[in-house]
Amino acid sequence: MTKKPFTRRKLLAAAAPLAAVPFVGKLALGGDAEAGGQSHASHLRPESDAAHIVGGRGATMGHAAMIGPEVPAVGGPNDLDALLYPPRALRAKPGRVREYTLIAEDKDLEIAPGIFFPAWTYNGTAPGPVIRATEGDTLRVRFLNRGSHPHTIHFHGIHPTNMDGVFEIVESGGQFVYEFEARPAGLHLYHCHATPLKKHIHKGLHGAFIVDPKEPRPPAQELVLVMNGFDTDADGENNFYTVNGRSFYYARYPIRVKRSELVRIYLANLTEFDLINSLHLHADFFRYQPTGTGDYWEYTDTIMQCQGQRGVLEIQFANTGRFMFHAHQSEFTELGWMGFFEVVE
Amino acid sequence: MEAGAAAARGRMGWRLWAVVPVLLLALAVGAVVTSGSSLVDLVGTNPPPADEFDIRRVEFSPGEIRITVRNPQPDDLTIANVNIDDAIVPFTVDGPTELGRLRSSTIVVPFDWVEEDPITVGVTSSTGIQTVKEIPAAIATPEPALRGFLGYAVIGALVGILPVALGLLWLPALRQASPAWLAAFMALTAGLLVFLGLEALSEAFALQAALPSALGGSGLVLLGVALSFLGMTALSGRLSRGGTATGFALALLVSIGIGIHNLGEGLAIGASFALGELQLGTFLIIGFMIHNITEGLGIAAPVAKTRVTILALVALALVAGAPAILGAWIGGYTSSDVLGVLFFAIAAGAAFQVVVEVGRYVARQAPGGLRSGYAIGGFLAGIAVMYVTGVLAG
Repeated sequence: MTKKPFTRRKLLAAAAPLAAVPFVGKLALGGDAEAGGQSHASHLRPESDAAHIVGGRGATMGHAAMIGPEVPAVGGPNDLDALLYPPRALRAKPGRVREYTLIAEDKDLEIAPGIFFPAWTYNGTAPGPVIRATEGDTLRVRFLNRGSHPHTIHFHGIHPTNMDGVFEIVESGGQFVYEFEARPAGLHLYHCHATPLKKHIHKGLHGAFIVDPKEPRPPAQELVLVMNGFDTDADGENNFYTVNGRSFYYARYPIRVKRSELVRIYLANLTEFDLINSLHLHADFFRYQPTGTGDYWEYTDTIMQCQGQRGVLEIQFANTGRFMFHAHQSEFTELGWMGFFEVVE
Repeated sequence: MEAGAAAARGRMGWRLWAVVPVLLLALAVGAVVTSGSSLVDLVGTNPPPADEFDIRRVEFSPGEIRITVRNPQPDDLTIANVNIDDAIVPFTVDGPTELGRLRSSTIVVPFDWVEEDPITVGVTSSTGIQTVKEIPAAIATPEPALRGFLGYAVIGALVGILPVALGLLWLPALRQASPAWLAAFMALTAGLLVFLGLEALSEAFALQAALPSALGGSGLVLLGVALSFLGMTALSGRLSRGGTATGFALALLVSIGIGIHNLGEGLAIGASFALGELQLGTFLIIGFMIHNITEGLGIAAPVAKTRVTILALVALALVAGAPAILGAWIGGYTSSDVLGVLFFAIAAGAAFQVVVEVGRYVARQAPGGLRSGYAIGGFLAGIAVMYVTGVLAG
């Protein structure tokens, strides 16, 4: 038996009578690791959390405790902004060409603290960058394969079959230019379609593809959430679940939005191995348009997506505060697919 | 004078020459080490390390789980993530997070676990490889408190001392027995010792198989067996002054052999109970008691025709039975996987050596020697009795 002179648990217990004092409460949590700098986390209220933990069983960590330094997430506050905030929507304009360059490369990604996954990426992230065009635009995607395996880009949408990323396999070191008209309007996907398919998708070669309608959607704070999972020990089961590629990232760095401002979320499911994934929002309801097409909107707080399904969510938060969102598969939640909206005035 | 110095130089000389191969080996090893991976690259590339932890011990206390892990591989191993029942949990590490070869650390997880529920702990390395250990039932790990300490002592006494003492009470009956029957009982002793020895040996092999390869190996078992077999041989030589051990000397040897075995038995009971792998019910304790009563008979048989004091009998019972208490303490409060292998190997070696002693005795004293029906029947009966009563303890 090793004797430890001073444990964290004892510290919490000792701090219990002082928990009402915010500063001491913060100390009990181990201090604010993200002190200073522009941080989403800076809007949290550590005093109430500390009181919650200390006032509870003391030793157990509920979800509410998974804020601040306790949350096992990698990266800094604005690290995933490029994936979270899509490029601006452009008004329809005849004859416009939207150009993108996607480079496939092998890269070790830190998908959870200290866990390095040997990913195959488009432009160094998994999911890859958000591709966006307006219906009727010509989309031209230059694809360079700098990875060690043959890859392609298969876009969902309506396009010629020789632009489908299925038959034209791009060998390592090769390149290909995909060019087609962006349609129909909605939220779509792109992913590698080289075989073995499961391996190429789950290794990270996937992303969101937004086609804006000619008649623009109302102005909103737009967000992209791509759900995926990482099987780090290659046993055909995911060990970590994320949105936008890092477990618990938005739990540690909540997404900040304004109350009564329209928030539009482009949500896609690119999880492998598990048949479905889902999103559940706490303490409010949203409208959901499957695939981002058509006139049908469902009013709910939980939606389910099969592998490859996606849709558009719209919400105006009625209240301020911290709103949890996560997969309603509790297993996925506790393996990293969980986050918060920090709704402010 | 000259010749003497030359002879001294000669004596030193062979020692110096003996060092030469060792020095050359050191140089060769140094060269291989500095060559890095280029040597291995000649025949191909190294496969990646397994990156699996050796989860040695999982301890439960109210609101907390402590997981002791060891790095069993040559490459460093980093504790990056901890799962309880397939959920990521916050944790702290008591010790280094990056573990060098055979280094250990204890992971502390604040967790509201459920009493008696099965629970799975997983430790993930920085490469994402998860090592999982399933605990059949989560129960609070006993703290080294006086109550538990006494509890283990009582259990040890019940499965160790009590049955041996009861078995010794066969002594008056044995004194009446004919030499042929006495030989049968001695052969029975040999049979049960062979059974115990084999049991200990298989336990030692099973334990070493679970050890990291750097620590384990059949060599460790062989070391234990040889150590105790030769040690017991030397001891019996001393006790019997070079001849065949008889009477009290033989009874003492049998006691020691059984005592070492009971140490292992206590160790197994204590460790399994502490790790929540064994339901230590009344039935199991009764099973061990019945299993062990024949051990007393084995000790009594050699002194059937010798005068022994009550005190000597008490001493014999303690030598054979008390180690069970010590074993229960060691097993209950320490994680002694290497020690466990050694203990069981030592028990096997001791048992086999005592079989040799008893065999010699029977060969000399029994009417008809080892080939008599009494000796053969007794030996087989010893094995059969251990097998049948062992079913109760299993």
